[in-house]
Parts: sequence; structure tokens; C-alpha cells
Amino acid sequence: MAGTAERMAQNQKQVSISEFFEKNKHFLGFDSLTRSLITAVKEAVDNSLDACEEGRILPDITVQLTKVDDKKNIIELRTEDNGPGIPKASIEKVFGQLLFGSRFHAIRQSRGQQGIGITGVVMYSQLTTGSKTHVRSKIATEASAAVVDIGLDTRKNKATKQNEGREIWELPDGTFKEHGVEITTRMKGKYQRGRQSVFQYLRMTSIVNPHASITFIDPDGEVHQWLRVTDRLPRKVEGIKPHPHGIHLGQLQRMCTESTDSRMTVFLRNNFSGVSSRASKELLAAAEIQEKAKPKSLKPDHIRALIEVFQGERLLNGKPVKLLNPPTNCLSPIQELLIKKGLSKTIDSRFVTTMTRAPSVTQGNPFQVEVGIIFGDGMAADKPVEVLRFANRVPLMYQQGGCLLTKSIESVDWRQYGLDQSGGRGVPKGPAAILVHLASTNVQFTSEAKEALADNEEVMDETRKAMLEIGRGLRKHLEKKKKMAKTREKFELVNDIIPAIAEKSASILGRPVPDLAGSITKIMGAVIAESETVWNKKTKQTDVSITLFNYTSRARAYTLLARWPEENGAGMVNNTMGGRKEATGVWAWKLETLEPGQTVTIAYQLSGLERGDWTDTDVFYRGSADVIGASKMDEKLLEDIRRRESVDDHDDEDGGEEADVEPPAEPPTPVKPGQQTLMGYGGDE
Amino acid sequence: MVQGHTKEDTKDALHDVVTEMYDKIVKGEAPTMTLPVRTKNNIGFDERLGVYKYGQKRSVRDATSLGSAKQLLRALYVVEFIEGMINEGKSSTLREMYYISESWGLGKFSTQNESNNLAEDLEVVTKCMREDFKLRPEEDGARMIGNLTLQERNRRGEWMRINARDDVGDSGYGVPYNVEEEKIELLEHDINFLMAIETGGMFDRLIENGFDETYGCGLIHLKGQPARSTRRIIKRMSEEWDLPVVVFLDGDPWSFRIFASIAYGAIKTAHISEYLATPSATYLGITADDIVAYDLPADDLSSKDEEALKAELSDPRFATSWWQDQINTMLELGKKAEQQSLAKYGLDFVTDTYLPEKLGELGLA
Repeated sequence: MAGTAERMAQNQKQVSISEFFEKNKHFLGFDSLTRSLITAVKEAVDNSLDACEEGRILPDITVQLTKVDDKKNIIELRTEDNGPGIPKASIEKVFGQLLFGSRFHAIRQSRGQQGIGITGVVMYSQLTTGSKTHVRSKIATEASAAVVDIGLDTRKNKATKQNEGREIWELPDGTFKEHGVEITTRMKGKYQRGRQSVFQYLRMTSIVNPHASITFIDPDGEVHQWLRVTDRLPRKVEGIKPHPHGIHLGQLQRMCTESTDSRMTVFLRNNFSGVSSRASKELLAAAEIQEKAKPKSLKPDHIRALIEVFQGERLLNGKPVKLLNPPTNCLSPIQELLIKKGLSKTIDSRFVTTMTRAPSVTQGNPFQVEVGIIFGDGMAADKPVEVLRFANRVPLMYQQGGCLLTKSIESVDWRQYGLDQSGGRGVPKGPAAILVHLASTNVQFTSEAKEALADNEEVMDETRKAMLEIGRGLRKHLEKKKKMAKTREKFELVNDIIPAIAEKSASILGRPVPDLAGSITKIMGAVIAESETVWNKKTKQTDVSITLFNYTSRARAYTLLARWPEENGAGMVNNTMGGRKEATGVWAWKLETLEPGQTVTIAYQLSGLERGDWTDTDVFYRGSADVIGASKMDEKLLEDIRRRESVDDHDDEDGGEEADVEPPAEPPTPVKPGQQTLMGYGGDE
Repeated sequence: MVQGHTKEDTKDALHDVVTEMYDKIVKGEAPTMTLPVRTKNNIGFDERLGVYKYGQKRSVRDATSLGSAKQLLRALYVVEFIEGMINEGKSSTLREMYYISESWGLGKFSTQNESNNLAEDLEVVTKCMREDFKLRPEEDGARMIGNLTLQERNRRGEWMRINARDDVGDSGYGVPYNVEEEKIELLEHDINFLMAIETGGMFDRLIENGFDETYGCGLIHLKGQPARSTRRIIKRMSEEWDLPVVVFLDGDPWSFRIFASIAYGAIKTAHISEYLATPSATYLGITADDIVAYDLPADDLSSKDEEALKAELSDPRFATSWWQDQINTMLELGKKAEQQSLAKYGLDFVTDTYLPEKLGELGLA
């Protein structure tokens, strides 16, 4: 984590902080008037989200921009959250001291890896307008809120305080604020709309923070609101110890010197993740170090040998020493269903598919990739798709072209998945948006500006795999759409046109209307399944109906199967046709024999879901003749699901799984809710 | 002389189309409509009629796809509509029928082209003419000037006697869309031959120069690809008055096709070639040879022109050695010339030199 933090710390003594700020403002996100405003909003909102997460509070965040002096480009920024609040004594540290806080040293996923922190905003405000930042903070245990105007003594790198006091924090509705922080600050800045704007930053933030409600009042007074779509807070992330694969020589030397452990085995077990007691012995054996050696007195040669073992360059019995993966509970992915909801709430569209890969490791750092694609009519069809990049739930808005995440999108030939892409390279075109999120304990950027992710083979590999997966989902969706359009045509043909031909021809000739059954059977010559999945506003349930039409000249017998979101806690109600559970999320109905021209309808409701959770029901069949509109049940896949279920039953939720790290093992893809669109049943792949 | 169908014949022919669909449904099959293939690969010379007609190739339009099923349904609506008009003594334009179809629900046309094509389909299947169907085209017919007299029944049902030289202005006699006997009777003439002219500019040039009087001919302005009524009245005059017909067009592949439609029958209307085509018509010019012989200012052939010429090489109507020579010569030259390029030698060149020379070859001047 060498970077801004350490450089800043070193620089503190030699130059004044304001001079440093002035010199490095492009690193700190304060280079242009537009970007400065975005950065200020970003620092404030990140702080609020982090505080709420730590306090296990569902965030309600308001961001308000007001033009103070249009000519001089002076804007007032006000943010308010409902976080736990900051105790009075800590306010000046949080707002008036650079690098306050512990997260720079912890190995875990955090938003704050990026940026200078809220102090930068205080400083920028002071440097550009000469004004102080007004802070109001209320904690639950105190009756009144603390207020103070914070400035910076840039020579001493210390906060200055003015107008300190306490007040009752009354809300516009007459009630009193329980806890939270409000910041009001003036700065030079320019509000713009577009791809790089405060609006876009907040919109993207709301996508990856589905548990947050964000209100934005723009300089024109227009109110934009993104409401929370889940009450589930992100998992609390734990700090982890370094993993041997991510350790450098200097670091190991320092750790040894500072160690008070009496034996190397204990040292390895206590200070590293992924090292079992067996592994610690093997590591030492490979490095030819005595198990009982004292870490403090380890010779440089030994340390170097140990690093070589760590890196897998020095072998034990011809093989690298097996280590456990670092625990992945330090990561907090958004999860497929929530990304889906986040995307759906900000972009109105028909089709969303998402994919959260299993955690993986690069250089001892756990990471996890999540991607999503939203496709539909609401978006421009002839423009490049919108790329939504995120690192640890923070939107990346600049340097799109140089970012690993963009490159991973560009590396896929999207033409085979139904998007336009000239030459099969570059960002594809089409009515779609692609989301990529990297959650990692150590996000590597191309530069200090922290807007583009640096190349990394493992991350690229994982991201690409995820892209291919959602690509397949998209293709399946498009194929299904095409098939459905064809089926709908056939229905129109036999339900509307043929009867009309019969009637009209009979009336012209003055003869009786002939019976149509024969013609219809001849024309269709098929068994057709039609399914409908619609949200019922009144009952707050999802109504599903599946109708099977026998348009052949023979009697047919089938078992129909349907997927339903059992894993998401949905309930199946009013299923009058009965049937039985075949596997988790797969229900089956054995149907009576259908005579030619006969139809049968299965109807049920799904309870316990929200609107948009389940919009499409995949139907499968068992039977001799093909069914248009359904896929033949793949019994092997069904067995796979059953097998996974029995595995899941015995699985504890331990993060550190026993796996071979070198070479990296292919992680199994767990079946998760929201993955319905990716289930590869049927023969149409 | 060929005649149109009677009302009852027309209705019977239309009912045959409906019966085909009805019977298929009764038999438990998809309704169908059988019609001749309408491409150059399915036209052949009819020895008896002396024109090109559709051959034996048939295509079946069946209601197994939504598109063709809708076509069949539309055909039924059109049949019903035509029957209504026949019974009530009304007529409508194709465009009017297109708008009327708005109330046909599933049988509604989505473009006017569809309605035009369907009217043609029904003609082809029933071997009736759209005049029998009481459907009028949008386009008006040609203009004629010359010492010929005919009578036309006006809106009040009275016969009007018109001499196409003395009773008309400079724009000549306007040929109506219906030129059948119920509407027009050819009375008398004092001309030696008929000349059909492609462009209005050339038509007006010949009139200004008094060519019709000097050479005793009737002039007909075709207005590009001639309307059916234009072709029909040429045929009637040629047959009833036993007059030679010469055709004076631009020298390009499209003019060749215009000539073929006048003399041999058009591919699109090959079902009624015997009503429309004048097999005795002669192509006067501009020929490919003329371009060279008169050293006419010429344009390069476009790629579309070349394609059209190559297609004509395999068109049965251009199978004679004279046409094959002309087409190949034009391809070799890589040039085409307009009628009005004759103005290179002065405004009177066409009437004083070119036409007399060309007509002289035919013994008409």
C-alpha cells in the first residue's frame, strides 16, 4: 500500500501541507473544477457509507449543491447522513488531520483506500474560498448536537476551530435528529451533467450500495432519489493477516525483527494467514530453517530462503509447499441479486443478469469479481454500451480506456452474444450497460489518481470468465426472445388469421364456416408451451401461468418442470395442479394425456418476493415430442443440482477453505439466487 | 380482338380463388392460393397470341406462415370489396382501396405496395384485368396528337367525338385509364403510322416542328414506362386501324425494356399480354448502332445499366439476333445516349434528318 499515504507522511515535514496539496492536486482528485466537486462529494459520501456500515445502520444520505456565486464558480456542498455521528472530541481529528484513521494499515476491503479523505475537502474549501467547513454531529447518547467550524492551519498541519458549541438538531418535520453528521462547505467547483458528474457518481454509488437511500438536490433545486432496495447491510469485513504469497523481503525482515515469538513455527502461524501448523513446518523445512529458531535472530540468508519458499521458487520434495487460501470473509461482494436490484432501480430495462465469481487470490490478496449486464429498449442501440466500473463499491469515473476492467470487456467477442462490436474488439455497442466490480483487500491502480485498475493476470482472468458467463446469459435471453416472437406469430396465425380466413371465405361463398381443427394441427404440427410471469400489484405476488397446447394430430403425455426462486425464500402458493419438488427450485407436474387440439394450464403464485425479483420462468419438459417454448429437461444437470444441495447441507460457512493455491485452483461456481438466467439447461446452447 | 370479362365471369373467377382456400380448410389442410411464378424464367412466347405469356410454373402461397396467411386474408377482403363494387356499379383507385383496408382489421394493408401487388396477384390468378375489378391506377395515361378521331363516353354517359389534332390544345388528347370499348370507340383517321415517344421533350419538339402533319402520323407520349391504358390504346389502334407502330426511345437498357413491354408484353403483366402488347411494333431508336453512326454525345453505362443489359441477354423477349447484337454493342461501347442528344446537330436535325432516315429504312418515309 505504498502510495499517497506514505508519500504524504514523508512529505509532511519538509513542505507545508498547502504546498503539497497544490502540487499534488491532480492525484488527489482536485485538478479541474468539475472533478473537484465530484471528489468532494465522493469523500463525504464514502465517509458516510463507511460510518453507517461500521455502525450497522442502513444509510440515508442527502447531498445538496447550491450555487453561491455563479460567476466565480463558488458552490456550497451540504451532505447529511444518519450514521452513528462523531463524538465531539474526535471531530477535529476526522476533519482537520490528514491520514486520520486506521484503515490505511488494515488488510481488508475498504472504500477509503482511494482518496485523501474528508480533510482534503476542508483544505480545498479553505484554499479556494477562504471559508471554514461547518460540521454538525449528533451521537445517540447525547441530547444535543456538537457544531463547529473547521479550518486548517496549513503550516502546523493542525485543525483550527471556531464557533464551537452545541445545539438542538431539529429536522424539517419537527422531530429531532437521533444521530448523524452534516457537513456544509463552500468551494470552487462546477456542476455539470453527463458521464462524469456528481449525478453519475451518486447513481453509480447507489447501484453498488443497494442498501443505501441517496437523495440528491442539484443546483437547480431538482430532487433525485435512489431508494434502498434491500435492508441487508453489507457483510462486516474483517481485517486479515498478510498471506505469504503477498509478502516482500523487506516486509518479512521487519516482521522478523519486530517479532517477540520464541519459535519460527509459532511466528509463521500467528502472523500469516493461510499457514496451518503442517504448512509452517513444511515451509521451514523447505527453507532449511530450524523449527525452533528465534525469528528475531534469523539470518538474512534464511529470510531470503523463506521468501523463495513463499513464492514457490524453492520446493519441498519437488513440489511447492501447499498453503491455505487467505480467508475471504475480509471481502464484501454485493452479491448477484442485489446488483440486479441495484441495476434495475437505476436503469429501466427488461433483462438483467449478474454473476458473482467465487473469491480468488492474487499475490496473497483475496479478491472477488462481480459483473452484471442490463439489456433493453430504454438504452441507445447504436452507441457503445455504458461501462460501470467499481472498486470496493466505489465508482471509477475517469480513465475508462486504461482500466483493466474495461480491457476485460474489450477482450470478449460480444458479437457471439448478440451485441454489435466492430471486428470483435473494443467496447461493444448496443442497448446495454455492463457493470464490473472488483472487491479486493489490495486494489492496484495504474496511477495515484486511482481511477483505473492496473493489469493483473488473475483478476483479468476472473473478470473475463465472468463476462463470458453473463454473455451466455444475454445470448440465451436474446434467443429466447426470438423464439418467443416466433411462437407468438404462430399463435396469431392459428388463433386469429386462420379463423378469419375460414369465416370470410365461407361468407363470400355463402357456405357454412368449416371446422378448423384439422388445418390448425396441420399448420402448427407442434406442442407449444407458453409461460407468463407477471407481478401482481394487488396481491404483491408474482403470478405464473404455463399453458401447454397440443397442436399435433396425436395424443401426447408430458411432465412439465419449472424453475422457481426457492433459494430466495419464495413460497409457491395456489398451485392447484399439485405436482412435486424435483430439486431445490425445480417443481414438476405430471400431466394427463393431451388429446389433439387440447390445452392445459398450470397456474400458481410466488410469495415472498419483490417486484422485479422474478420476471421470467424457465419451463422444461419430459416427453417424446419436442415442445416449442420449453427446453428438454437435462437430467444430468438436475442431478448436479441435487448433488450440490447435499454438499451445501454439510458446508459450514468458514471462509478459509482447504485448497491448493499453487497453481490456483479453479473455484467451483456455487448456485446462488439470481442466477436463474444462467442455468444452462436445455439443448439450445 | 380480345375482350374484357363480363361481371359474372369476373365474380366466378374471383370465387374460384376463395373456393381454393375454403376447400383446403374443409380438407383439414392449410388454405392456399396458387399463382404463376412472375419472373423472366417463367415467360414464354405464345405462338397463337404472338406475345409473351406466363409459363407453367406455379407457386403456392400457403397459410403456414403469418406473412402469407395475412396475404390470403387480405385477398379475401379484396375479393369481397371488388364484388361489392361490381354489384353497386362503383369503382375505386388502388389508393382508395388501400385506405379502405383500414377497416379490414387483420386484413389491413400496411403499405400501398402491398395492395397494388395483391390486385395484380388476383388479376394473374383470375386472368381478369383490374378494369374488370373496377380498380383504377393512380397514374394517368398518355398524351396523343394526330389526325385521328375517336369518341369517348363522358361522366354523363354521353359520347363525345374528339379529333386529336383539331379538338385539342398543345398538350394533346389525354388517354383515360379505361380505354375499353364501353369507354372509347375508334372512329376514323388519316395517318400512315403511329409513333410512341419516350420523353415529353421530344414529343413537344416533334409537334413544334409539325412532324405529325409532314409525315402523317399519330404521336403518343409514353411518359417513361407506359401505363397499361397507353399500351392498350396503342394495341387497339394498331389492330383496329391496321397501323404500323414505331417506338422512339432513349438509347439505354431501360428503353429496351419499355419497348419489350409495348411489343412483347411486360413480365409483371404477362397474364394480360394479349390485351396490352402490340407484337407488330418496331424499335426505331435510339439504337446502339445510332450512337456510333450519328456520333451522339453519350454517357458512360453505370453498373446498374450493365447489370440490366446482362439480364436482358438472358431474357427470352430479347432472344433475337438483332436484340442480342444491340445489347452486346451497347455493352462493348459502354455508352448510352438520350433521344435529345440529337440536338447536337441543331433543333431540326431530328425531324429533318434522323427520323426520315430511320423511317425510310422501314419504308414509312
